[in-house]
Amino acid sequence: MTSTPALFLDHESLVPLIEELSKTLEVVAPVYAEGEPVFATWKGEALALDADNPLNSPVEFFLPQKEVLFKYVQYSGRYTFSEEPPKSRLILGMRPCDLQAIKVLDEIFGTELSDHPYTSKRKSTIIVAMNCTSPGKGCFCASMGSGPAAKEGYDLLLTDVGSGYLVESGSPAGMFVLRANSRHFEEASPEHLKEKERRLALAEEEIVKRRLALTPEQIREAIDETDWEEVERRCLRCGGCSLVCPVCHCFSVMDRGVPDGERLRCRDTCTLAGFSRMTSGANPRASLGERLRHWYLDKFVYIPEKTGMLGCVGCGRCSRVCLSDVDRWSILREAIE
Amino acid sequence: MEKIHTTCVYCGCGCGLYLHVEDGQVVGASPSPAHPVARGRLCVKGWLAHDFVHHPDRLKTPQIKRGERQVRASWEDALSLTAERLNEIKEESGPDALAVLTSAKGTNEENYLLMKLARAALKTNNVDHVARLCHAPSVAGLGASLGSGAMTNSIKSLLSADAILVTGSNTTEQHPLVAAHILEAQSRGATLIVADPRKTQIAQLADIHLEPCLGSDVAWTNGILNLIIERGLADEDFIRDRTEGFSVLRESILKYTPEVVERISGISPEDLEKAAVAFGEAPRAAVVYAMGTTQHSNGTDNVLALANLILATGNVGREGTGICPLRGHQNVQGACDMGALPTVYSGYQKVEDPGAREKMATAWVTDLPSTPGLTAVEMMEAAEVGRIRGIYISGENPMMSYPDRDQVKRALESLEFLAVAEIFPTETTALADVVFPVASFAEKDGTFTSTERRVQRVRQAVTPPGEARSEWEVAADLMKRLGIEADYTSPKEVMAEIARLTPPYGGISYQRLGISGLHWPCPDPDHPGTDILHRESFPIGRAKFFPVEHLELEVDPEYPFLLTTGRSLFHFHTGTMTRRVHLLDREIPRPAVDINPEDAAALGVRRGQRVLVESREHSLEIEVDVTGVVPKGTVFIPFHFNEAPANLLTVQNLDPKSKIPDFKRTSVRIRRAD
Repeated sequence: MTSTPALFLDHESLVPLIEELSKTLEVVAPVYAEGEPVFATWKGEALALDADNPLNSPVEFFLPQKEVLFKYVQYSGRYTFSEEPPKSRLILGMRPCDLQAIKVLDEIFGTELSDHPYTSKRKSTIIVAMNCTSPGKGCFCASMGSGPAAKEGYDLLLTDVGSGYLVESGSPAGMFVLRANSRHFEEASPEHLKEKERRLALAEEEIVKRRLALTPEQIREAIDETDWEEVERRCLRCGGCSLVCPVCHCFSVMDRGVPDGERLRCRDTCTLAGFSRMTSGANPRASLGERLRHWYLDKFVYIPEKTGMLGCVGCGRCSRVCLSDVDRWSILREAIE
Repeated sequence: MEKIHTTCVYCGCGCGLYLHVEDGQVVGASPSPAHPVARGRLCVKGWLAHDFVHHPDRLKTPQIKRGERQVRASWEDALSLTAERLNEIKEESGPDALAVLTSAKGTNEENYLLMKLARAALKTNNVDHVARLCHAPSVAGLGASLGSGAMTNSIKSLLSADAILVTGSNTTEQHPLVAAHILEAQSRGATLIVADPRKTQIAQLADIHLEPCLGSDVAWTNGILNLIIERGLADEDFIRDRTEGFSVLRESILKYTPEVVERISGISPEDLEKAAVAFGEAPRAAVVYAMGTTQHSNGTDNVLALANLILATGNVGREGTGICPLRGHQNVQGACDMGALPTVYSGYQKVEDPGAREKMATAWVTDLPSTPGLTAVEMMEAAEVGRIRGIYISGENPMMSYPDRDQVKRALESLEFLAVAEIFPTETTALADVVFPVASFAEKDGTFTSTERRVQRVRQAVTPPGEARSEWEVAADLMKRLGIEADYTSPKEVMAEIARLTPPYGGISYQRLGISGLHWPCPDPDHPGTDILHRESFPIGRAKFFPVEHLELEVDPEYPFLLTTGRSLFHFHTGTMTRRVHLLDREIPRPAVDINPEDAAALGVRRGQRVLVESREHSLEIEVDVTGVVPKGTVFIPFHFNEAPANLLTVQNLDPKSKIPDFKRTSVRIRRAD
């Protein structure tokens, strides 16, 4: 999609650039909070672009853990409603896995009956993605086809080529940012492009070599073969795997406050019994094992059927947060071996 | 969006987490990867720790009771009325007609100031908190045998154990992050022994599951130790060099043969032997226990029996060993450390010790009472007969959490003055003359001390709702009104005073705490903290063996079932917070009594039907859940639910040594409610 020639940005020029951008936009970037990288509003602190991908995905800026859909106020028996407009944001340093998650979510929330709270935030956000040249220990994006190089969906794409960033634009909004701030950039050389390819090939090789994940076909086979009762026995029911997953998008809606209050939309998880339990008390997925099996089926069968894309982007976060230390890949692998 | 690193508000694990803040609202939570206990993980309550913070039910303005109603009041009116009424009662009936109940949910700084309020301003040692109902037997038992009632080792230390005995702890549900460490140790090869009459998840994952009947802990623990000594698996060097009283103990446990233990507890001699060999042969073995051990009328004896076991096997003072009482609240350890107990000042300095009293009196520029005060349940008894006339309660809900709810209600209603500081309206605030709206964990600075003695920062993420204030401000204000100097400008300043007067906290300061905090004892600013206690010696010199005997309990054929109470994974304590967290409330929306399938069949009840659970005095109607988790003859009710308060049935049957009530064993009968 790159329709302008690639540019080059010095490492030293990045901060002046985002300083400039933060005058008109809220810049969200990986920063250190008590020593750990997190996505948060950038206020001039040191950037954590070299650190591991933060544990919490920047998808939360489109699908917050908890958001107010609107506020309601009752006056003389009549209700009035108010809604906050979305913030103009720029997210810096989004990795290809998270970018792919957003592509899946765009398909789910953005087509047919489009979901206004999601799409309005999407439209008001500029994504400056960053290719993964040093992948994290638990990542397997290459097996899921979502990284380490971003292919599309970004407004701007950075690749660290050692001496600075190679900058490519992927949308009119991206091009606009480049043009409006052209003084920070210089033209990229063929060496920069070559270095990008070299670094990404190395990263991909490293991820593939680890063989963390199975292929999607093997996973589908393994889902049928896995002893889900055994997984249930060991699962400590924290819900972390789905609460941290950038593709998981289930929510529940509730009104809080009478007569005035807020309609809230909160992140939900299908690993909880209450998620599928019906008013009568009957539960089509009564056991935790069935619910965990469903979670995998959703990622590897249902979402692909619906969107044509995998529901897993290989970010490895579900394993990072697993309280029971369930090694997902060895469980699935054992099932088919 | 900002992400504020703080400490979780629920159990004693003390996990580090981030609160996500957008436009002054807490909108999410996520685990802290660098935190030594959380390690990037949380339990389901932790993941949802943000959800209750902005709930519309939050108390936002002070309330004063006028006639039968509580009406909105100004802070000035609420504070001056409280100071006035407390002062009047003190003048008329003496200081011991007053009492303060502090909160294990509050910070160390708040507990310290409330303790100071009671002692320096009100001049009474009637100060206590919920630890009385959970780990008083640990403080009494381990204090006597080892010289300190706290967890001897860190949570991380469990990773290097070769055998772990978990007893009276539903660890996977109540301390999930400790359970994660235990299960990780097991996957590295440690033998996991679980003793629990219920088939909890950790019991099902155990290598050896002992299923003793309720009230037989001393018998089977003595039985295991008897076998260990018989097999020559005791650590004779350790016994000789570091303990005293072994020969008397040896003599006393001889009668606990596997056959005797089987008769008392129902544990087969084979299982007992397997457990004894696994524990005795392990180079490093640890004991983990919680309320299932302590909440008995012989709770202290249960603790002493476990202490004997680790001492006789030399499992103290090394990585991978130790005895680990798991604390139920995130700061119940801290509240004890801060002297929110009737007998001690902060750092367990005894009020009866003239030296300690002199030191505190000088620092606080006042005189102090010398006789120990009443414990929490004793306060209720005293209130009922008019000996206590005024109580200040900070963030506790005795109406739900204390035994014998009817008696608690009578006691609180007979008070002339009751002030309650809370975040939400509760069954207890409903009875108050003054209600103070206070800040939740997300709205204040301070420190919590976790179950492993780790002192950690709590960081303010948002401002309190409405007019609510941090409770350290409320305590300081009341003190000033009662004539005690208390010009604190921040919790940091309070911590500086705590460090000055509390030897184990001597080296604690906010600058040093960072993300991981510090384990006390940390006596000076250069001290790295102490993750493992008793490495070289015990605070009392030599550790002591205390022989303890099985207590034969009567069984009333009229009331053939044994009721045991506790918590569930998805709710916390009296439900004040978790029942306002949408996903948690949806997961377990209603109370139910767990009944074994065989019992259910005999009673002719099915899941979802309602039964009456009756004790000698009271009766409770509740839905049935039929489950093999409870053994035949035992039923379980969680105490989260106001609709069916489990503590209506429990009685104030106190352990004579620690004054803890027996929450874990009440005789009841059950019949269909139709």
